[in-house]
Amino acid sequence: MEAIWLYQFRLIVIGDSTVGKSCLIRRFTEGRFAQVSDPTVGVDFFSRLVEIEPGKRIKLQIWDTAGQERFRSITRAYYRNSVGGLLLFDITNRRSFQNVHEWLEETKVHVQPYQIVFVLVGHKCDLDTQRQVTRHEAEKLAAAYGMKYIETSARDAINVEKAFTDLTRDIYELVKRGDITIQEGWEGVKSGFVPNVVHSSEEVVKSERRCLC
Amino acid sequence: MASDGARKQFWKRSNSKVPGSIQHVYGAQHPPFDPLLHGTLLKAAPKAPATPVKAKRISTFQEFESNTSDAWDAGEDDDGLLAMAAESLNTDVVMETAHRVLRNHSQRQERRKPQEAPGPEQEPQPSAEPPSVPSGDLRLVKSVSESHTSCPADSAGDTAPLQRSQSLPHSVAAAVGGTSDPSALSSSALSEREASRLDKFKQLLAGPNTDLEELRKLSWSGIPKPVRPMTWKLLSGYLPANVDRRPATLQRKQKEYFAFIEHYYDSRNDDVHQDTYRQIHIDIPRMSPEALILQPKVTEDNYTFAQPGIQMKVKMLEELVSRIDEQVHRHLDQHEVRYLQFAFRWMNNLLMREVPLHCTIRLWDTYQSEPDGFSHFHLYVCAAFLVRWRKEILEERDFQELLLFLQNLPTAHWGNEDISLLLAEAYRLKFAFADAPNHYKK
Repeated sequence: MEAIWLYQFRLIVIGDSTVGKSCLIRRFTEGRFAQVSDPTVGVDFFSRLVEIEPGKRIKLQIWDTAGQERFRSITRAYYRNSVGGLLLFDITNRRSFQNVHEWLEETKVHVQPYQIVFVLVGHKCDLDTQRQVTRHEAEKLAAAYGMKYIETSARDAINVEKAFTDLTRDIYELVKRGDITIQEGWEGVKSGFVPNVVHSSEEVVKSERRCLC
Repeated sequence: MASDGARKQFWKRSNSKVPGSIQHVYGAQHPPFDPLLHGTLLKAAPKAPATPVKAKRISTFQEFESNTSDAWDAGEDDDGLLAMAAESLNTDVVMETAHRVLRNHSQRQERRKPQEAPGPEQEPQPSAEPPSVPSGDLRLVKSVSESHTSCPADSAGDTAPLQRSQSLPHSVAAAVGGTSDPSALSSSALSEREASRLDKFKQLLAGPNTDLEELRKLSWSGIPKPVRPMTWKLLSGYLPANVDRRPATLQRKQKEYFAFIEHYYDSRNDDVHQDTYRQIHIDIPRMSPEALILQPKVTEDNYTFAQPGIQMKVKMLEELVSRIDEQVHRHLDQHEVRYLQFAFRWMNNLLMREVPLHCTIRLWDTYQSEPDGFSHFHLYVCAAFLVRWRKEILEERDFQELLLFLQNLPTAHWGNEDISLLLAEAYRLKFAFADAPNHYKK
C-alpha cells in the first residue's frame, strides 16, 4: 500500500566515478554504509519518502548513475526526466572537482528543454585530513553556477538527510510558485495520490487532518 | 585556512590513503602476494627483464592455484539428470532431460514445502525483500545516526527502510555455499553418479588428446570441482588438447604474461594512462578476490564507449521476450519499465551481479560448452531468467516496485540447482524460439 505523498520528484545523482554516489544514496535510502561498494553499471534505481513539513511528504525516485565514461550513453538518457540533481565530487580528489564544470555542460545538452535544480555536494567530508578541495573554493564554484553547496559523508552520516531534504524543499517551493510545472510527457514532477483513492483507513485518517495545499 | 602558497599546493601532497589516489601497486603479477617474487621482480625488472625466477614462478603458480582453489568450492555439482543427458548431447535427449528436470523440480518443490521455512522465493507474496520487511511499501527511512537531527515528524512506525534486497549476494552465497540440496536424490545415488562423472572427466583430460567435443558435452551440465581448472583451460582454448604439449604451452603463456607486465607495468604512471590506471586501481579492491577468474572473449563493441554491442543485446532480449512471454513483455511496457533499466547489467556483467558467485561459475561451465555460449546462449538464459519471475512481475503494478524488484532479484540463496533449472529452460527456449536455425551448429 502506497503512503500518501503530495508530489513525486525524480532526482539524478551524477559525478565522477568513485566519488561516492551510490554510498550516499544507500545511506539515504537504507540508512547504512558499506565499506566496499560495487561500481554502478548503467543506472540503479532507489526510492524514499521525505517529509518536508509535518504531513507533507514527497516521494523521491532517485537515479543512481554510473560515473564511468563508457556508461555515459546510458546515463544521459535520464537527465531529461529529472527535476533535481545532486552533483557530487570527492573532496579528497581534486580532479573530480575540476570535472564539475564538464558534468554541468553534459547535463545542459541533454536536459533541454527542461532544467534540473542542482545542488553541489562535496562528498567524503569525514576524510578532512586528505582534503584537496577547500570549502571556500567549492562554495565559490557553486555560487557561480547558482547552486547550493553542501558537504556530506555517507560513512559518518553527515548532512546526508540535509542534502536530499534541502534540495527537495527547494524544488517544492519552485513547484508551489509555478516556476516548475507538471507537464504531460515529463516525469520530473508528478502530483501525488488523492487521499480518497487510498483505501487504507489509517492513511485516509492521516491525510484528512492535513491541508493539501 | 592555510596560507595562499600552501593552499595552492596542499592537494598535491602525497595522499597515500586516498581511495583512488595513484600509488605503486606491486600486485600486478601472477601469482600475487608472493613477497619473494615481489622482491625479485622489483629488483630485476628494470635491469634484467628476461629471466628471473622461472622455476619459482611455476611452483608458486601451482601453489597459488591450490591456495585459491576454494574459490571454486561453493556448491557441489550438480544435477544428476542433466549429467546423464550430457553424455550424449543431442537435441532430443537434452530436451527430454530439460523437461524431466523441470518436472522433477516442481515435484521436489511440492515435497519440500511443508518442512522448509519459507525463503523469499517460496513466499506467496511478490516480495523482493527479506521477510522481516513488508513488501511493496514505501517507508520513511531515517539514517540511524542522523535521525535525531532531521525529519522530526517521522512517525515511529514508519522507520523500516525500503530495502534493496541483497544486491551483492556473494557474501551470503559464501555463507550458504557448499550446502547441498537436502531434498536432492538420495545422496549415495548422487555421489555414485558424481563419481562416475568425475571419472569420465579424468579419462578425457588424461589424453593423450582430449576430445574437446566430448569434453564440451560432458561439461554442459556442470564440471566437477576437482577438474574444473583444467577443463576451463581447455574449453577456453588456453591450453591444447594434447596432454604432452600442455606444460610447455602453460609455461609459454605465463612467460608471455610476464613479458606484458614488464612491457606495460612501468607505463602505468605515464600521463596518457593516468585515467585508466586510476580506474583500475579503484576497481580492483572492489572486486571480490574470488572473482578473479578467466575472462571470456568479448567483442570490442561491448566495452567501448556507448557499448553498442551491449545495447544491441538488450534489444535482442526485448525482442525475444516479446515472443516468449507476451504478457510479461506487455506488463513491463505498460508500466514504462524499459529493458535497458534492468537488463543492461545482465548483459554487461553476464548475470554476475544477479546471482551468487558459485552460480556464475556453474553458469560458465555451460557457457563454455555451448557454441557462442557467452553471447548467443546468454540471451536465452537472460530470457529464462526474466520469465522465471513472471508471477512476481505480473503482481507488481507500479513502475517503482517493478524496477526495484528487477534490479534486486531475490537470488541470494540460489544454488546450482537453480542454475541447472535456468539452463534447462534456456535450452528449451533456444529450440522453441530459434530466430535463425543456423545458430545451432550440430
